Amino acid sequence: MTGLLDKSALGVAVRIKRIDWTAMSEDEGRRLREFGLMEGCEVTPRHRGSIFSRDPLALSVGRMQVIIRAKQAAVIEVEPIAA
Amino acid sequence: MTGAIPSVALVGNPNAGKSSLFNALTGARQKIANYPGVTVERKAGHASFADGRPISLIDLPGTYSLTPASLDEAVTRDVVLGRQAGERKPDALIVVVDAANLDNHLCFALELLALGLPIVVALNMLDLAERDGLTLDPARLSRELGVPVVPTVAVRKRGLTELLVALDVAIESHQPREAGAAPLGDAPLHQRARAIAQAATVDETPVRRWTQRVDQVVLHPVAGLVLLVALMFVMFQAVFSWATPFADGLEAGVGVVQNWVVETVPANFLRDLVVEGLLAGVGAVVVFLPQILILFLFILLLEASGYMARAAFLMDGLMGKVGLSGRGFIPLLSSFACAVPGIMATRAIPDEKDRLTTILIAPLMTCSARMPVYTLIIGAFIPAEKVGGTPIGLQGLVLFGLFLSGIVGALLVALVLRRSVTKGNATGFMMEMPRYQWPRANDIVIALWQRAWIFLRRAGTIIAATTVILWLLLSFPKVPENSRLSQVEYSVGGRIASGLEVIVAPIGFNHDIAVALIPAMAAREVAVSAMATANAIDAGDDEEKMSEQLGTALQGKWSLATALAFLAWFVFAPQCISTIAITKRETNGWKWPMFMVGYLFLLAYAAAGITYWTAVAFGLG
Repeated sequence: MTGLLDKSALGVAVRIKRIDWTAMSEDEGRRLREFGLMEGCEVTPRHRGSIFSRDPLALSVGRMQVIIRAKQAAVIEVEPIAA
Repeated sequence: MTGAIPSVALVGNPNAGKSSLFNALTGARQKIANYPGVTVERKAGHASFADGRPISLIDLPGTYSLTPASLDEAVTRDVVLGRQAGERKPDALIVVVDAANLDNHLCFALELLALGLPIVVALNMLDLAERDGLTLDPARLSRELGVPVVPTVAVRKRGLTELLVALDVAIESHQPREAGAAPLGDAPLHQRARAIAQAATVDETPVRRWTQRVDQVVLHPVAGLVLLVALMFVMFQAVFSWATPFADGLEAGVGVVQNWVVETVPANFLRDLVVEGLLAGVGAVVVFLPQILILFLFILLLEASGYMARAAFLMDGLMGKVGLSGRGFIPLLSSFACAVPGIMATRAIPDEKDRLTTILIAPLMTCSARMPVYTLIIGAFIPAEKVGGTPIGLQGLVLFGLFLSGIVGALLVALVLRRSVTKGNATGFMMEMPRYQWPRANDIVIALWQRAWIFLRRAGTIIAATTVILWLLLSFPKVPENSRLSQVEYSVGGRIASGLEVIVAPIGFNHDIAVALIPAMAAREVAVSAMATANAIDAGDDEEKMSEQLGTALQGKWSLATALAFLAWFVFAPQCISTIAITKRETNGWKWPMFMVGYLFLLAYAAAGITYWTAVAFGLG
């Protein structure tokens, strides 16, 4: 069962299945990849926004923690990691 | 490679600990300047090999790859490739990688290796990696990468000697070769980096990391925000209360010098210039150094501990609503110290419209130059009482209110600008959250010293010059014996101010303020030195009047409504030549700085007017 990263539960690791690179600018896409966010990698959503809004989203990628906006997470398709 | 001093650049990802390594290698032997044509800070310094031969080091802005996303990252690429004007191509690179984040940091290292320069890799922050349960094999990493790898813990000065030895050998034994094959695409590059990182990892014990536990509270949707507001509040209270003893000491010191000059030098033109002009004017500004340093101390601590990125995360939701991003929080918070470094820090904002908006509202953050004005007026007109039996001081609360007005004003202005002149796509917000770390005293002291020096240099040049010119304008022509006018009112400067007074009288400003406003275009704090100078001239040789505090003198002459209007004016007024100049440079033209000056003066006039009329209506006029 796949879902979108912006709707994923906090604290649960998922694997990135597909990213719609056409939905973002070239610079944004490159920065995502520089953060290590690309097809096949595992991420864990950690924190989401504050009382002001549901933006942004903090993720663990490997040993890094990165922040992206929900809009970007909405084009990242993820799947559960097989037990 | 004999003869010229080898030049070596430190390159690496953000948060790899580059600056700490740079500080550890160069100590205090460093110089901060700007790259010509761009406002990216150039940090250069010197170190020496064991036998005493010197090397020159430069610290480059952290970046993820040689494809830049922002202006400061472009400088890193240009310097490394030898394309930066005024900077020769480095003879070697020290590539700094975070030992605990090899997967990611090796990508950039691999890209740099392909350039064919002599390279030494500093495997930095090895102690933190071990704390996280990682055991690494530097020798294996070195074999995989084909270059020397030296484990370092910059903050404890571990591995520095070895690093320099390896660097020496790398430079001496380097065989010039062409840049390697074109770098791989993103995915294969990451795969290779991951494979190398895995090979170099001996053992990896999964531990629940400290950072994540802290973040459960710090990034909590409610508790996190409460903590952020509390931190800001403590910061502003501290600025006001901790600095007092130091400021009083400095003030007393200036007074002693003034008296000494008056007593030892015979009365003449030069003595008056020094006592009433230079000492009164520059002294009035220098006493605010403690407050400025406390503010910078807080900002540096927040930055060095890793908290700043969390604050950006918490603020992004709010800032996103007015069309900005959390990225803008760091420049804006820096602008509380000074808008100039704040505006320079906007370089890290990738989106152009987002960046322009952040630049335009940066002057609304209450910079340290307003502190002299606020402190003087608050000290003179707001009673030093506690608010309703709480330990919160009324003076501190008013100061907090002024800071808050600036912030709210800035958010509203951003909202309007993003729907009109700087309209554009909703911007993204991507940034790395570094691990928490104890700030290192050494790094903080070096940075504080650099800020103090910049402030004092400003006081000694631009502020001293404007004060002397103002003194001359206010001292001549000499008022006739039988005139009802005071010296200041009779002088050239006073007459110019009388012209301005016509415009500002409706918002409650008097002649004193009109005199102060003109030279304060140079810098806001000059308003205080200008009033001090005018006060000193009017006091003349009357010793009793001379020793009277400036605040006490104003109490007698201003109504509370006028004082409040004056405070409201300074929340908005763009009275700072440096800010206007930096805006021109950062936006490549006069259009945006002119726009900024125009809209801020309009807001200042309106805010002061509304404050004054409201206060008068409540019977405070």
